Amino acid sequence: MKQLIAILEGIGGTLRLLVRAVAFAPTLPRQLPRFMEQCYQIGYTTLPIVSILSFFIGGVLALQAGYSMESFGAKEFIGSLVGLSMARELGPMMVAILLAGRVGSAIAAELASMKVYQEVDALVTMNIPPERILVLPRLAAVIVMMPVLTIIANLVGWFGGAIVAHSVDFIALEPEKYFETLRRFTKFEDVANGLIKAEVFGFVVVLICCSIGLNTRGGPREIGAAVTKAVVVSLILILVLDYFLTQSLL
Amino acid sequence: METCHQTRNPFSDAESPAVGVTLEHVSKNFGSLMVLKDISLTVEPGEIFVLMGPSGSGKSVLLKHIVGLELPTSGKVTVAGHDASDPATRGKVRMALVFQAGALFNSLSVYDNLALYLREHRIATEAGIREKVMRALQILSLENTARKSPSDLSGGMRKRVAIARALVQEPQLMLYDEPTSELDPVMSATISEIIATLKDEYRVTSFVVSHDRSLALSIANRVGILMGGRLLTVAPPAELRDPQDPVIADFLNPHIDVKNPRFKQLES
Amino acid sequence: MTTTQNTARVGLFFLLGVALVWVAYATLSDGKALKSRGYNLVAGFDNLKELKQGDDVRMAGVKIGSVQETRLAGRRAEAVLRIDPTVKISSDALAMIGSAGLLGTNYIAIDLGSAGVPALAPGAEIRTTASADLNTIMTQLGELGGKLEGALGSMSEVLKGKDGQPGIFQRLDALLANNSAKVDATMTSLQQVTDKLNRGEGTLGKLINDPKLHDELLAAASDLKAATADARTIMTSAQGIVERVKSGQGSLGTLIYDEQAGKDLKAIAANLKDVSDKLAKGEGTLGKLINDDSLFREAQGTLRKADRALDGMGDSGPITAVGVVAGALF
Repeated sequence: MKQLIAILEGIGGTLRLLVRAVAFAPTLPRQLPRFMEQCYQIGYTTLPIVSILSFFIGGVLALQAGYSMESFGAKEFIGSLVGLSMARELGPMMVAILLAGRVGSAIAAELASMKVYQEVDALVTMNIPPERILVLPRLAAVIVMMPVLTIIANLVGWFGGAIVAHSVDFIALEPEKYFETLRRFTKFEDVANGLIKAEVFGFVVVLICCSIGLNTRGGPREIGAAVTKAVVVSLILILVLDYFLTQSLL
Repeated sequence: METCHQTRNPFSDAESPAVGVTLEHVSKNFGSLMVLKDISLTVEPGEIFVLMGPSGSGKSVLLKHIVGLELPTSGKVTVAGHDASDPATRGKVRMALVFQAGALFNSLSVYDNLALYLREHRIATEAGIREKVMRALQILSLENTARKSPSDLSGGMRKRVAIARALVQEPQLMLYDEPTSELDPVMSATISEIIATLKDEYRVTSFVVSHDRSLALSIANRVGILMGGRLLTVAPPAELRDPQDPVIADFLNPHIDVKNPRFKQLES
Repeated sequence: MTTTQNTARVGLFFLLGVALVWVAYATLSDGKALKSRGYNLVAGFDNLKELKQGDDVRMAGVKIGSVQETRLAGRRAEAVLRIDPTVKISSDALAMIGSAGLLGTNYIAIDLGSAGVPALAPGAEIRTTASADLNTIMTQLGELGGKLEGALGSMSEVLKGKDGQPGIFQRLDALLANNSAKVDATMTSLQQVTDKLNRGEGTLGKLINDPKLHDELLAAASDLKAATADARTIMTSAQGIVERVKSGQGSLGTLIYDEQAGKDLKAIAANLKDVSDKLAKGEGTLGKLINDDSLFREAQGTLRKADRALDGMGDSGPITAVGVVAGALF
């Protein structure tokens, strides 16, 4: 019962945080440097790990597909399989998970330590709402950066699949054929679909991590607990949201 | 004391009304723990009020009620006639709180820590901000730390930066949480002088939470003593030099008796 | 790592993302980015099978557009085709639904049509033909078998006779026996006639209808013997002819049912011989049909080839059936 109330409090607090942050949206142009800093943190510094991971995800997909499709002579459809699954599912999902792990944890840690060391209280007494300078720039940055990260993840994943399909001996699929089937079966709607998903995931991850970070109470020990909680809740929400988003976007 | 009802801005010399603080039957519970028990208190505009008490007596919690960081379980706190629990009050009355640990923004340099308030509220141009910030740093002899990160400073320096940051806000009401803890005696004296100067020159109302007896007795207009969540007394410092109440006397002038230590008294 | 540098990086990064989204859009939607240039054609079918939006439209195997929309229109299904503006389609071109690949990806196949025919205007309807799927092929094969059976049955009736009526051979025997003397007498004349025939003098119709040759024809009895053998085989070569023979129509019918017309027999026999020679040499359409088995070879190829070949066979079913029988008899 207590836990249920805690969960409901968390949801309510998060929604209130969202409403407050959005209400400060007109102040965003003034906060351009802060917004840029967050874009840099969320987008630019996350790019290497996103690229590495999506390359190998595309490669593994091609390898698995090649292994199972090669036996009934449908290996030219590796392209369509990798193309569709990267664009519709794995691209956005993987970027969101990396975002939760890399950016979400950092946000939760930073805001939790600001809260624990009373920096947030200091902001409040200075009549500077934390939602305005701590939450809003991050939400805006993730909205702008998420599609960029996702489209790069998609393309890197597709090329990873092509390289693996071409260079593995028992598949040895020509890149031309790979991309021909990829293009034939993957429509831009699929990519757009994935970008919408990524946008929702990214927004939710950042919002949740901000909310959990700002609601930390107690001493420095709680910072670690807040980070763990933020990442776990983010991952669960990504997977749950993924199901419902996929269903509604089908 | 008519003059006390106008504060003068330490930077611009503009004048604005001095503010007072009123607590009416304020109680605060954290779960089943009662931290504040029915406290009624008035801080006059332009005075220095020092709240003393042992650790854990609820001094900091009471302070947070005045700036609206904590909301009373029952009772009411007003600042210059405005409800302190209403966030809008912070926009009407300029209040600055000096946190015990400083609460400096670790991601910003000392200079940016001081400039943040001015920038966010668009109080001055960048040149004006620079002038104000450097003046506040000068007052606390911190000119050389402007470009440093707060994490590179010692505890005492951080506290001075926190005071400088509060000064920059040109407050009508200054609240200090243990301003002299962690400071060497000379620096403590300096802080005491700053608080007194703010009151004398600029007629800023000050609410100081401290257990620094010398600070309290030297600069306070009135001293309140909080113990176990109850306000035991409010009196001018002169009355507290020789208190009648044995509990207060023991708190203010603890007698160190090696032959009969306190922890052994408690055992018996 | 100054703030300006970071801002520049973020800006560059964002522009890169926008560019990549655009690239993905342009490549994956086949230039639909430019509001799908080209013109529409409507193709109506009884059944669109697995055809869906976005499938290719190919002319002679070259992609020239895509299926923009599939819809039901009254009692038929329509596919709206988006055709590349540079491609002109003749108004007599035929569209059909083809299938490529193991997984049954469908496409619209349009043939080249005739040269010099005006091109279809945007929004026009293209002629279509239903392509066979396996079910229709099987049904057509069944029908073909039924027709073959019927043809063979009626042929045997003609040859053997039915319901007490004498068959062709009995009648021919009787005819020859009754006229043996006359036949002998006309031998020589008939020889001349056949010579003339071989030299191609005069038309067959004239030759046969000229009363002056009557006696000479009768004299060519020995030739007639050989000719009857030819006649027997040729007569059986066409179901239509046999039917007409039965009902006493046409010259062959008259020959058999009317003794007076016996004289025509030789000429017809020669005529038919000529035709059958041509058939055997593979001249003319029917001859090609009989002698060219490429259609059957195609039928043994891929499913698609079989589809087409059997489709062709379906159209020419009766002729082919007769051709097969004729080939066996000759």
